Amino acid sequence: MVVGDVTTGTDVLVIGGGPGGYVAAIRAAQLGRDVTVVEMDDYGGSCLNHGCIPSKALISVSGLAHRAGEAERMGVYAEPAVDMSAMVGWKDQIVNRLTKGVESLCERAGATLMTGRAEFAGDGEVRVVKAGDGQGSETVSFEHAIVATGSRPVEIPGFGFDGEHVLSSRDALALESVPDRLLIVGAGYIGMELATVFQKVGSDVTVIEQLDGVLPGYEADVTDVVHDRVESLGVDFHFQQTAREWEATDDGLLVWTDSEAEGRAEKRFEADRCLVAVGRQPVTDTLNLAAVDVETDERGFIETDDQARTSVDSVFAVGDVAGEPMLAHKAFAEGEVAAEVIAGEPAALDHQAIPAAVFTDPEIGTVGMTADEAAEAGFDPAVGEMPLRASGRALTLDEREGFVRIVADGETGFVLGGQIVGPEASELVAELALAVEMGATLEDVASTVHVHPTLSEAVHEAAKGARGASIHY
Amino acid sequence: MFEYELPDVGEGVAEGEIVVWHAEPGDHVTEDEVLAEVETDKAVVDLPAPVDGVVAELRADPGDMVPVGDVVVLIDTEADDKDTVDTEADDGSPSAGDTTDTTGAKTAPDTGDTTDAIEGATGQVAENGAAGQVAENGAVEGEVSTASGRVFAPPHVRRVARELGVDIDRVDGSGPGGRLTEADVRATAESGGEETDTVTDSGGDGAAAGVEPGQTAATQENGQHRSAVTPTGTADGTTTDAGAADRDRTLAAPATRGVARELDVDIDEVPTERHRDDEAFVEPEDVRAYAEAQQAAQTADADTASAPAETGSTQTESAVEPVTATAGTETAATTGTETTEADTRTEPYRGIRRTIGDQMAESAFTAPHASHHDTARAGGLVDARERLKQQAEAAGVHLTYMPFVMKAVAAVLPEYPAMNAELDEEAGEIRYHDRYHIGVAVATDAGLMVPVVEDVDRKGLLEVAAEVNDLVERARGRDLAPEELQGSTFTITNFGAIGGEYATPILNHPETGILGLGELTQRPVVESGEVVAAHTLPLSVSIDHRVVDGAVSAGFCNDLKTYLDDPIHLLL
Repeated sequence: MVVGDVTTGTDVLVIGGGPGGYVAAIRAAQLGRDVTVVEMDDYGGSCLNHGCIPSKALISVSGLAHRAGEAERMGVYAEPAVDMSAMVGWKDQIVNRLTKGVESLCERAGATLMTGRAEFAGDGEVRVVKAGDGQGSETVSFEHAIVATGSRPVEIPGFGFDGEHVLSSRDALALESVPDRLLIVGAGYIGMELATVFQKVGSDVTVIEQLDGVLPGYEADVTDVVHDRVESLGVDFHFQQTAREWEATDDGLLVWTDSEAEGRAEKRFEADRCLVAVGRQPVTDTLNLAAVDVETDERGFIETDDQARTSVDSVFAVGDVAGEPMLAHKAFAEGEVAAEVIAGEPAALDHQAIPAAVFTDPEIGTVGMTADEAAEAGFDPAVGEMPLRASGRALTLDEREGFVRIVADGETGFVLGGQIVGPEASELVAELALAVEMGATLEDVASTVHVHPTLSEAVHEAAKGARGASIHY
Repeated sequence: MFEYELPDVGEGVAEGEIVVWHAEPGDHVTEDEVLAEVETDKAVVDLPAPVDGVVAELRADPGDMVPVGDVVVLIDTEADDKDTVDTEADDGSPSAGDTTDTTGAKTAPDTGDTTDAIEGATGQVAENGAAGQVAENGAVEGEVSTASGRVFAPPHVRRVARELGVDIDRVDGSGPGGRLTEADVRATAESGGEETDTVTDSGGDGAAAGVEPGQTAATQENGQHRSAVTPTGTADGTTTDAGAADRDRTLAAPATRGVARELDVDIDEVPTERHRDDEAFVEPEDVRAYAEAQQAAQTADADTASAPAETGSTQTESAVEPVTATAGTETAATTGTETTEADTRTEPYRGIRRTIGDQMAESAFTAPHASHHDTARAGGLVDARERLKQQAEAAGVHLTYMPFVMKAVAAVLPEYPAMNAELDEEAGEIRYHDRYHIGVAVATDAGLMVPVVEDVDRKGLLEVAAEVNDLVERARGRDLAPEELQGSTFTITNFGAIGGEYATPILNHPETGILGLGELTQRPVVESGEVVAAHTLPLSVSIDHRVVDGAVSAGFCNDLKTYLDDPIHLLL
């Protein structure tokens, strides 16, 4: 007998409504495609719901509380009290507003939104499995699919997230009260950002890290500034420690670690809660990728080319699931390219550099090559550096730590990259990113007039410095 | 040499049909790598390679029924595929590609041969091996970008380069420090066109052969553009298009697509004999070979433009060296038979698709079908499910409407024995079943399957629900035992899960009745003279009209409606 072979059809099926997915959906719809977005959770993905946005909300508000209480030398006397649940409530309002915004942007662009978990059901078809109610699933056939399923926090052996003792970053951003003692496993960007937040709102934070420094992957003089600041806030660091096991106690938990360097001597940490922030892994297990032969690499990321295509003609992948760096703005860029390639435009991911930021105190912003990388790549790097203690604007913000560094090709002056550590580094890095992407030279940057008094003058000054023509430093 | 006999891939299966090979002679396979898909009664099973080695011979074609125990593939456990390929490529003799080895990895020799074709056409005198070298270097240099991979050009300039098919690494910048402008890219695009003319016109001119590897790639790109605008139907068009495949879909690794873009080749046009999962699969050497063949054809067209017109493939032969022409022609001929006319894709009718088709045909052409359509009020059904859902959930069972309908059908069928029966034509008997085994049609990736819940009348609602859920899940995972797909006495198909109201289900032969369910949703109904919204469930019943009269199916529907409107009747 026949189960009428009726399926819903769509030109472009986007799996996942996070930064990669919703941008792809909107762009594809703008280009006249019939678009369907399938989301199994909330629109906006990790970024809006459990990542960038919620963490930035808490970073702002914890920074505000902290600064107000530390401003005596500027003549302000305050003892701010912190209500964690109100902070989280405020954060949730922002998140809500933004996720609703994403939904309505998709709808206004003309995309059809479906709720459910999409899994490939073979050639040009996915099955959308609906959560809970009624009949199980619906089949959607597609011309092109864009996989944008994102990533989730990695668990370490023995430390499964239970939301009570062992927290993921997602759990930590939704806590209703400030834990007295918070143990954080992992001194990467998530661990460092949240260590700062919780220390500032009154937690006694301890960070353990398997490697021998904070923020692996960044240059030592950059991370030193952050490490010193966070330590001065009262965060206790233990390096070369590997979390091995834990047990619940009456008022929290006990975590044991050991260390190769210290002869495997076991250390013991007591805490009310333990946040594990050791990285993120791609979400592909929901997709039944085997049904379409999409290939993944050894870490589980879907392999894509510079047009976001996978090993299968009709399937694209964007965002975290398509590999490092797992950054929302990379996902935005890939989502647009995937949509444009599907629409037949000659788009490609040929970005010279993808900037990155860490929202610690102070912030880090980087783009392109470091001086070492430039030398390795065969350039003769010219480096200019402007310390923020020489910046009038930094001093008026009561900030003295940090610097702006610009790296250029010594021969031609082309800007190759830059590293910034200091207040608003995440904003300042945009100018360097533009310079790198445009093929601007040091002279171009140095000859552009910058507003005084601003932090951006430090970028200007660093460019001058690299040409041996500093004025203010 | 390892002789691999078809193992018993199911439980007690006597034979299997080869659905598709995933390896071909010359391929290196590793133990447990999937060699083929083999279909038995209802399941498709992967056939893993038993050993490491190189496939020497396939003893069965897709579609063949192979008895268990027959040798299906020979695997050379000593050879190494790298050696094989190298030998063939170095050899470069025309016979390597076109004579004995009809199924094998033909692309390796083809690459060598078509390279020769280009060299021959441009007048370069070179050993086969050396010619191959030149082409190799060209390709490699094209991929490796200049100084540290950094291009100093603003994004919009890079986009223009992509639009014009210009490799930006090869553009000389006129800005400060060599920064690229849009004008630089456009100038390169235009000068690239001139270079093409030089090559084409000069024919045997040695200068053409001296073109730098990088420029070769640029020439090809421009050559491609020109071929695209050449009107088809002229001699030029025919020749140029001869080697082109025309697929809607092509499987290829990202790197391969990169090569295709670089050479400005439409990957759907690249001929290949490789397949993966019934889809054409292209590798980088196929792309390069095709790009080169295309350019050879272009050059050939130019050379023969003034010569007396010749027909078809011989034109290619006359243009290039006779020795190498055979290979070129063969590429064209092979792909010509492999690919189909524009806008149509063919695929073999076999496997589960065929099993379903055969059954449908048997049912439709054996039993005269009659259909009866009606709409049940389903308010009571919706309430009942709503009330029981939580409890079912607590018992670990997800409760859908299906088990209610199954229970209702099992309750009604005893009153209509002709609909729980079958006609045995040979014996001249109608067999009435006293048990109520209900088949549930499930759409799976592989096609329609009908797992069976036995004795629905004797089981509780939860039990039926749990069993249906389990069967459906496993049907989708192709994880059903053959006996779980047999023995139904009546079948239900829930097309309404997808949408729609009425359909005409085909009987699950040799059953005499089948019930199709439309979408359960609110629809306008008339109540006390007013139109109100109410939950309704459209019913579509098909019967074997030899055994069942129309009045019987109407009565069946009427009774069923009573149960669905108020499932409390199930308690009676």
